[in-house]
Amino acid sequence: MTAALELDGLKKSFGKAEIIRGVDLSIGKGERHAIIGPNGAGKSTLFNLITGRFPQTAGHVRLHGEDLAGLAPFEINRKGLSRSFQITNIFPKMSVFENVRCSLLWSLGYKYNFWSMVGRSRALNEGAEEILEQINLSNRRDLPAGVLSYAEQRALEIGITIAGGADVIMLDEPTAGMSHSETDYIVDLIRKVTEDKTLIMVEHDMGVVFGLADRISVLVYGEIIATNTPELVRADPKVQEAYLGAALEAEH
Amino acid sequence: MTQTDIKTDPSKPAQRMRAGTLVTGAGPWIIAAFVLLILPFVFQERSAITIMNQMAITIIFALAYNMLLGQGGMLSFGHAVYAGVGGFACMHIMNASDFFENMPLPLLPVFGGLVGMGLAMIVGSFSTRNAGTVFAMISLGVGELIAACSIIIVAFFGGEEGISGDRTYAQPFFGVEFLQQIEVYYLIAAWLLISAFLMYLWTRTPMGRMANAVRDNPERAEFLGYSARWVRFYSFVASGFFAGISGALFAINYEILTEENLNATSSGLILLVTFLGGVGFFFGPIIGAIAFTLVQTVLSLETDLWALYAGALFVATVMYFPGGLAGLLMMHVPAFRLGKAGLLTMPYIKTLIPAAIGIIGICGLVEMLFHMRHGSDYEMTLFWTTFDSHSVLPWIVFAALAIVGIGIAKRTAPDLQAAWNEANTPPKGSL
Repeated sequence: MTAALELDGLKKSFGKAEIIRGVDLSIGKGERHAIIGPNGAGKSTLFNLITGRFPQTAGHVRLHGEDLAGLAPFEINRKGLSRSFQITNIFPKMSVFENVRCSLLWSLGYKYNFWSMVGRSRALNEGAEEILEQINLSNRRDLPAGVLSYAEQRALEIGITIAGGADVIMLDEPTAGMSHSETDYIVDLIRKVTEDKTLIMVEHDMGVVFGLADRISVLVYGEIIATNTPELVRADPKVQEAYLGAALEAEH
Repeated sequence: MTQTDIKTDPSKPAQRMRAGTLVTGAGPWIIAAFVLLILPFVFQERSAITIMNQMAITIIFALAYNMLLGQGGMLSFGHAVYAGVGGFACMHIMNASDFFENMPLPLLPVFGGLVGMGLAMIVGSFSTRNAGTVFAMISLGVGELIAACSIIIVAFFGGEEGISGDRTYAQPFFGVEFLQQIEVYYLIAAWLLISAFLMYLWTRTPMGRMANAVRDNPERAEFLGYSARWVRFYSFVASGFFAGISGALFAINYEILTEENLNATSSGLILLVTFLGGVGFFFGPIIGAIAFTLVQTVLSLETDLWALYAGALFVATVMYFPGGLAGLLMMHVPAFRLGKAGLLTMPYIKTLIPAAIGIIGICGLVEMLFHMRHGSDYEMTLFWTTFDSHSVLPWIVFAALAIVGIGIAKRTAPDLQAAWNEANTPPKGSL
């Protein structure tokens, strides 16, 4: 069985600075995988390489065995990979409902269609309502997305990310900057909406990581120093030295 | 904000489409058609029909422009060329008498639209790669380039005197030869209705919605499977089509096109019209075109300084009401929904009437200054009164009007502000 996502010798340099220094990683179908690591380890850069936001310097990214080299973000998205962003990245002037509906358009085959009315399509409108229901924003549907609270915007961001029906979902720090109760809400949401999908997330909150992930990779200075189940990663002395020690201590 | 106001019933399609725009259903279009039908009976003078024709052409052009600016987030400084080139093409069709005499005139705008669209496809193929400054600069460059061509490529643009033709050579359309201004009016009105309706429908299609998405956040749109560049390109081409239609109607109405139809002044003017009306709402450019054409035609009969007032109005709009006139109107919707709009009536009267008096005072001073510098004699007529602009009394009167008017308006403004806040606060208990 081919892996859902496979990284093979992936490297990225900005000028002389090597940010990603050869990452090999294989993530199976239906796995919930977390990438953790100290600030500046290159987690977000790794995400950007996978989703085609930047071109890689060397190496390969394969989605279901298919090489993604040279593809633009929108082409990668059409192949079934969808991502969220660390900084909330929604359509602020459009209504919440419209945000979700727009993210359904391509997957329902509308492409650059200018002869059918979006209001007339049941699949589109009911699909969008369903996702609003899932992310608990039905009572906000007609507000401009820009006026939502931070947690609500993050939830909307996740809604937009999953709406297109991608089977590989990448979330970049979904709980960043949230209070405890908000974090719990988002974690439940992530668990609910990524069922039967492959999830790859970058996250700082160890509670979230250990609660959600099947496997964890630890990225330090552009290299993965360990990939394993949460228990074994927690016990790994290399990981404790590089990163976790401080974070785990802080939690207790 | 109240929760009760936001709740919607998803099973009702009318409510489903509430977000984004208020105009739903056929009602407004039937009213618009009716108004267009009876306007010439209300305003029967020849000059009024001329103004209405110009207004309708500007409305189509402004709506087309807003497909870029308001809906697609693309600021173009050279959009007049798509209207202009479409118009020039129509002029050549009018002059190709063998072809033209077999074609009914009402079909001509289709050709103008197609030519505008063709040009937009060529320019859009490289200009829509980016929005923002890059797009704006390319649009400016291309606009200047084509405007400059009008003097160089004389065969197509006719050089400095432009190209003229005669619309009446067309095949009669159900016996109508478009000799009369009023016949042209109905032709333009019909095209206005069709174009506006099509442009409105466009906002409802997947393309129209994605244009908004790309405007708000091009990068996110890319991660939804859409190429921001192609979305911009299609918007640009569609806008070029409707701009071309407006150019064709200009050709039909005035029977002459010159370099003026292409140059940066015209491009700047349509930006001004669209922004004045408000880019955030579909009907914004319509209000802008009506207001601006009135200033341009009616006010220009009264004073040579009309452009100064139009400019001041524009600057005030940009500074205080970035939503334009449409935004200004729609600001009041929440107060009406809360049923508290009545609270605003008295404060508005108390502030706006003195402000209007103050503005009259300022205008009077400006006009007298202009008359003193440029007038041929001492006698001037302003606000239906004739006086000597070199005597002291009128200066005192206008200065007093300005000072007192603005002074009172300033004093009552805080009350208006308070009333505004009160009118927009939901009643207690609903939060």
